[in-house]
Amino acid sequence: MPNLQALRRGDANAWDEAFCWLWPAVFAVAHLKLRPYFPNEIDDVAIESLEELVEMVHEVKSSEELKPLAVSIAHHRAVSLLRERFAKKRGEGKTESLDVPTDGERALYEPASSDSPLADLEQKELAQRLGKVLAELKPPFGEFLSDFFLHDLHYEEIARKRGVSVGSVGVYLKRGLEAMRRIWGRDDNN
Amino acid sequence: MNSMNDERFFDLAMKIITRQATDAERAELDALRACEPELCAEFDRLEKDVRLVKDTLPLVDAMQTAAGDFPAYAHERLQTKVRQVIIRHVVAKGQYRSPALIWRCVLGLVAAAAMILVVVLPILHMYRAPRIQLAMLDTIGGIRGTDTNEGALLRKTWSKATLDFLTSVEALHEWETKNKPDEVKVIYERAAAEVRVLGKWHGKSFRKTFLVEPDLEAALKEAKSFIAEQIQE
Repeated sequence: MPNLQALRRGDANAWDEAFCWLWPAVFAVAHLKLRPYFPNEIDDVAIESLEELVEMVHEVKSSEELKPLAVSIAHHRAVSLLRERFAKKRGEGKTESLDVPTDGERALYEPASSDSPLADLEQKELAQRLGKVLAELKPPFGEFLSDFFLHDLHYEEIARKRGVSVGSVGVYLKRGLEAMRRIWGRDDNN
Repeated sequence: MNSMNDERFFDLAMKIITRQATDAERAELDALRACEPELCAEFDRLEKDVRLVKDTLPLVDAMQTAAGDFPAYAHERLQTKVRQVIIRHVVAKGQYRSPALIWRCVLGLVAAAAMILVVVLPILHMYRAPRIQLAMLDTIGGIRGTDTNEGALLRKTWSKATLDFLTSVEALHEWETKNKPDEVKVIYERAAAEVRVLGKWHGKSFRKTFLVEPDLEAALKEAKSFIAEQIQE
């Protein structure tokens, strides 16, 4: 992990180390959001995200905050780019659809739509939440949630993959969701 | 709802939310919700939770990715950004003097020094002129005194100088030998019809004789020009 004091001093070697460390994460986010529609923009968005991170280095309190912040910046930049490009495509600045969006477009708008829990979060707030998820979502709950919600595996497939009974899969998922709810402050007490 | 129904409701909800449910499972969930209306709110809450997970986990996964090399072409662009940001930050804290600012200060000092050399020193030099002493030798006598035309011309030419009237060569010799540094003596020898200039200026000695031709005024003018040349060099 790079030395934050060295980064704040503008140490070129420390920044080289930081760029190499952060690059896979920002590139992965840009790739995730832009690959189906604007693959040529992936590198630019990743680099611009790192530039923006450089601008914010004096606001960061510890090195651990760097990666969540970089990922948050990349997410916001990619979503902004998608909104801007599709707004142009549909007629400069018009928010309502002029044509029925394709499945791909609908999927594209999902993470950027106003009902997304991430939509209203500022970069720093999202970075804090991501850092918290990374630290507090203990294994194997994250893996079970990924298998089911991101990779669309069925209960039986997950059970085989993780070596548990089919009946336990739901339990892991339920506990995983509860953990996420708690981390995001969306549990019953809030 | 008992724990068995609770688990079943959760599993059915998950399958429906992720579009994995069969028609029979949909009907089963609808039946459960009809019996217990509070399950509708719980279903809505689960939908939101799933949405949160689907939005968040890819970003968390991205943070754990280690694959992918930082492209070399981005290196200089980002290092330039680092330099700009750090300089801006230091300037904002008032700890920075840019090279351009330093050079402007140096150039300003050089210009000021040049101004002193070009303008001020010559002015000072101009005000520092040699002391001029005048003497008029009249061995014949009869035309001495401050009222003579020659004496008046000498005073007019060097208004701040002292004028001595001498009547013998010995007296003139004695007068000439009383030299002081940075002093110029101008002697008008009426009998020889000449004006002699003897001087020392900044360690340099000079001397020249001017014939009174066509008249004394012209000779004095030439002598004055000669003195000016010597003290300027």
